[in-house]
Amino acid sequence: MDDERPARFEAAYHRAYGLITAYAARRCGEPQDAADVVAETFAVAWRRVEELPEGDEATLWLYGVARKVLANHFRGDNRRRSRTAELDAELADLYGHCPDTEVELDAIGRAFRSLPGDDRELLSLLAWEGLEREEIAKVLGLSRNAVRIRLHRARRRLSRALAEAGVHVSTRSGLVPSKRAL
Amino acid sequence: MKNIDEIEAIRPLARVEPGGLGGDPSGPAARALLAEVTAHESASGSGPVTMRARRRFRPAWLAAAVALAAGIVAVPIVLRDGAPSSYAVNLDDGMVTIQIRDFDDAPALQRRLRELGVPALVDHVPTGMMCREPRGEHVQTIPRGLYSVPENIPGEPGRGWQMRINTKLFNPGETFVWTISGQYGGTTTYLMRGPVAPCEPVPAPTPKVLVYHSATGKNGSLAGFPVDGKTVGEVMSEIRKRDLKAVLVVIELNPSGGFAEPSDQDIPVGDDWIVWDAEERSKGVIRLRVTEERLDRNPVTGE
Repeated sequence: MDDERPARFEAAYHRAYGLITAYAARRCGEPQDAADVVAETFAVAWRRVEELPEGDEATLWLYGVARKVLANHFRGDNRRRSRTAELDAELADLYGHCPDTEVELDAIGRAFRSLPGDDRELLSLLAWEGLEREEIAKVLGLSRNAVRIRLHRARRRLSRALAEAGVHVSTRSGLVPSKRAL
Repeated sequence: MKNIDEIEAIRPLARVEPGGLGGDPSGPAARALLAEVTAHESASGSGPVTMRARRRFRPAWLAAAVALAAGIVAVPIVLRDGAPSSYAVNLDDGMVTIQIRDFDDAPALQRRLRELGVPALVDHVPTGMMCREPRGEHVQTIPRGLYSVPENIPGEPGRGWQMRINTKLFNPGETFVWTISGQYGGTTTYLMRGPVAPCEPVPAPTPKVLVYHSATGKNGSLAGFPVDGKTVGEVMSEIRKRDLKAVLVVIELNPSGGFAEPSDQDIPVGDDWIVWDAEERSKGVIRLRVTEERLDRNPVTGE
């Protein structure tokens, strides 16, 4: 069997570990869930090391795996868990502060969470992971054009949800929550 | 321009700042997980006989549960490089809490545990070594709550771990046998009855490396022929065409998710059954996981 696979996996693992842990932490309400998602993502990746692309593409591929693992996780599918105490602890650390306790963020958070899951994932990959459209297309297994169209729609829905939540966004002054504006 | 603002608006929602990293890829958590993940697939035992264990990807919690049932707790440990040797043992109403940050000082830890009424035997063996087995008689029925599975030290994520032992639950003549191997090894905990032989370090068996890989992957014998969702008839016809051999494994779905490979595989499989996964261990011998019914999603990949 080819022996370069463990090394290839390890290289991809090191490149992606910080990103995948961040990805999971941004999407899971509890650190334990995030740890599960991280552990399972790499377990699946190792199991399919054969399919692991070379170089930076590997990270995008891992995002794709993480996305599916995440979806399964919240469908109650918690099998093949390889969490370790260390991983639990590291992720718990990332949950030290709650990002959306401020009034503005709370309203934005509610608006954002009201969107369909697919919209949220598209917007998050763009806003949180900072991926380019082409990269998002690879993560989601979509064409660039499909990503462009879906993103456009997702943004429109987000804009509407924000307006309904009383949050107005403006280029210059950042966020102006209407509740506090006057 | 408006679009940019919406994206900006949700950036601060991210728990880990956008573009930032979560965990440290060279930290203990990353190392422990890497060891855990990569250990699993290649250390799957010795083929069909041990397939009673069913899944080659046995989750850690299951391993822990099995180990507990057998009186063994084995967990991977990863410690900070160069940390001073340290441990802390506290006793509160018969409950001993041991916090370990470094495992070099096994004899001192053993002494301290004994002072506190824990009939413990602590040994440290180098990486890749184990104490020669058997050292004594294993206690099969462990009192509930005798000891906890190792957990994080509160407030010190990623540094060693702690476990609790209830000293009141030991029966006379029982010994808590604790072996710690290497800096990045693991710990094994047994409960034994009667005399326990001193630790004689011997090389730990290297797990037989069985590499399974997807038969439909780039280098697989079924490359270019995705099987999931195809019927057994379709896949077998391709397998014959490529002059390969196939082993059919009927899988059962677990109610809680996942699947099992029952050991009795003498059920006749119809051509209309559904294939979910094809893997090969040796070139040309394909192992197909099948179910009688077509399912909503692939039980092997969960997709």
